Amino acid sequence: MTVRMGFVIITSRCIDCDACMVACRSENDVPLGHTRNWVKSSGVQGQFPRVSEMFQPGNCMHCDNPPCVSVCPTGASQKRSDGIVIVEDKKCIGCKYCLTACPYDARFSNSETGKADKCTLCLHRLEQGLEPACVQTCLGKSRQAGDLNDPSSVVSRLIAQYPTRILLKEVGTGPNIYYIDEAVPDIPDGK
Amino acid sequence: MELTWGLMIVIYLFTAGLSAGAMITSNLAFLYGGQEFERVSRWGAYLSPFPISLGLGLLVLDLGSPFNFYQLFLTLELSSPMSYGSWIILFFTLLSFGYLYLWLPQAYQKVGQTLQLERWKKRLAMLMPFLSIAVASYTGLLLNAAVRPIWDAPLLPILFLISALSTGVAAVIMISNLSPWKRARHKELHVLTKADAGLIILECLIILIMIVMGRSSSASESMAFSSLLVGNYVWVFWLLIVGLGLIIPLFMELMELKGKIPVKWVWPVTISSSFLVLFGGFFVRYVITYAGQTNSWF
Repeated sequence: MTVRMGFVIITSRCIDCDACMVACRSENDVPLGHTRNWVKSSGVQGQFPRVSEMFQPGNCMHCDNPPCVSVCPTGASQKRSDGIVIVEDKKCIGCKYCLTACPYDARFSNSETGKADKCTLCLHRLEQGLEPACVQTCLGKSRQAGDLNDPSSVVSRLIAQYPTRILLKEVGTGPNIYYIDEAVPDIPDGK
Repeated sequence: MELTWGLMIVIYLFTAGLSAGAMITSNLAFLYGGQEFERVSRWGAYLSPFPISLGLGLLVLDLGSPFNFYQLFLTLELSSPMSYGSWIILFFTLLSFGYLYLWLPQAYQKVGQTLQLERWKKRLAMLMPFLSIAVASYTGLLLNAAVRPIWDAPLLPILFLISALSTGVAAVIMISNLSPWKRARHKELHVLTKADAGLIILECLIILIMIVMGRSSSASESMAFSSLLVGNYVWVFWLLIVGLGLIIPLFMELMELKGKIPVKWVWPVTISSSFLVLFGGFFVRYVITYAGQTNSWF
């Protein structure tokens, strides 16, 4: 079966330390003012003393039907055969069409290069057999990445074991970040 | 999301529509009106290349990597309206300058024989309406493809087309009225004003249907349309577009058509009604471009 790279993010394990954002910025030289990944907060929910707050990390969803790729006028935005959505800088003219087309606001215009910028799933690290920077640094092990089509991967095992949700399902982009909100006491072994 | 496409894109959308509308006005006046409509055909041809040229300049300046713009013309991506749109506006703009040349007074036509040029004028006049419709409406498809609330309204290409025609006709009315040379005759203006009034009525209907469709759609969509009706864009929508851009010029045009305007007032009324149509057309592009970005799915 073909490789389909994606993430599982366990919101119950996220403490909003933002280390993933720092690691990504440092790993990928992301200019200040924009970020390739984020942690969103639900705000305080409920009434005192029963209050809660949920943190939802995110980044490019490496969608099955990425609108950023189909609208790109020069073919700079591409979906690789392993599912990773990338921008080929040489072809990008900075028209920002992909920024408007992404319903997750996962892209931004890089002020230094003038080109569309986004999460590459740390392609350069994967090629060296390393995890993406945000995954490696995540101290709560909230972020997991891997091949969603490989049943022995951590991400597949988590998806098999826990109920998941995806964001903006109705828009039809087929995002490849699966969110788990339940408590996950142990992260399964796997690739 | 923050604003990705700003005023430069709004101006491009407006100027491209204006040029396409002026071009069709000129083509149809020439093909169906002949000598009697010679002045408006001429002014349409003289006007058409310039607004879109300004718009194209702004488009390139808006790019993050402007010197890389040629990448657009190394490929044709059929899934991207911006890709085929770039080719369309390129051909339109080049041919619109050719068409302008064919309308120049003979003394300025240094290249080509008069008889041959006349033949080419007719050929171009038959081809350009198709290109103009493409220029005016592809921008609607372009926003459609980004699948955001408001931008994904299926009637958007039609709204942009009708608004483009309306602003194009209005611009021709205005310029052929302001010029001391080759000023439009009463009959020409009457037909153009009639056409513009019809287009404004059509535009009102399309806007109404878009709002009804949007409001009865998903919550995100409905919320986005609320931002026009009662939210952030309430003044732009009701005052600048509906009031000043549609209802008032429509009323003025209808009064003109019925001959209810005293003779000494006809000229200022004609100029102001066509100005208001242009004004409204600009804010239609503004509100769609901005409201589409400040609203998103939830």
